[in-house]
Amino acid sequence: MTTKEKAEFNDEFSEAEFFGFATSYLSEAFPNPQRVGCPPDSDLQRMAEQPVEARDAAASEHLTCCSLCFNRYMEILGTLRRRKAAGQ
Amino acid sequence: MASGEAPSSFRLNSADRHGRRIVPAVLAAAESVFPRALEYGTNLLGDPAVVANTLEEVAATVSQLVARRDPPGEPAPIRNLPGYVFRAFVRQVNRLKRKELAVLDAAIAGQTLAQRLADPSRQLEMKVLVDECLAQFDFTGRDMCWRRLGGFTWDEIGPLHGLSGHAAEVRFRNAVRAVKAKLAQSRKPLPPTAQTAQNEQLMPAMDGDDDERKS
Repeated sequence: MTTKEKAEFNDEFSEAEFFGFATSYLSEAFPNPQRVGCPPDSDLQRMAEQPVEARDAAASEHLTCCSLCFNRYMEILGTLRRRKAAGQ
Repeated sequence: MASGEAPSSFRLNSADRHGRRIVPAVLAAAESVFPRALEYGTNLLGDPAVVANTLEEVAATVSQLVARRDPPGEPAPIRNLPGYVFRAFVRQVNRLKRKELAVLDAAIAGQTLAQRLADPSRQLEMKVLVDECLAQFDFTGRDMCWRRLGGFTWDEIGPLHGLSGHAAEVRFRNAVRAVKAKLAQSRKPLPPTAQTAQNEQLMPAMDGDDDERKS
């Protein structure tokens, strides 16, 4: 990628826009009321604490198509982050 | 504690707005630098009342510092108290100004983002990009995305994947860049020659249809 292309990419790609949109989109677009394929809460907790590809790949992929699990995982990450910030 | 400042007629309160006491030596030092502080502070903060409050707060903080470092009978740790108070005041004013600018920037950025996200074509573009990213990212890329969405900083995300914060950010941006490049490639229009050929193939059929309808 040339310097000009890099500059164009940086102009076009706004992290705030990307993540702002992704949050609202993923938290609502995939309702899944029957909870099809949802991993147990403990799996999400474990993935949040220490992600391991061999163990967590399916759960991570499931979050892309289940708003309930996505929202729950965001809660777990938020709690984990606050706990780490508090030095616990 | 030598005072290098000319005496000032201005009087500050002996406690700041949080009720913290200002010791007499620091109060005198703050009052002596007040004209300079007022000029500097008003330029940046605008309101002289805010400047006076800020100077009192700084004086109260310096008083606490002096009390901690200057037990009775010990030599004074700060040789030029007015200069010390003024420098502390300048730092505090700069901090307040930075905070004010940061809040303003955030408000402007938020407004722009909201406006951009309200545009349906932009929404569709973002939806396609997010879908493609989540489909094409490997486990690490997706995990970075989840954590960023969960409010983690890059410095917190990097070490979980054996990277520095900066390396994690660069890796993520490169992954998004690759997805965008693929999307751009798939949206490339057909070359002009191919378009012409297509049109030529379609034209006779359309003419034929018309003839059939006429007959």
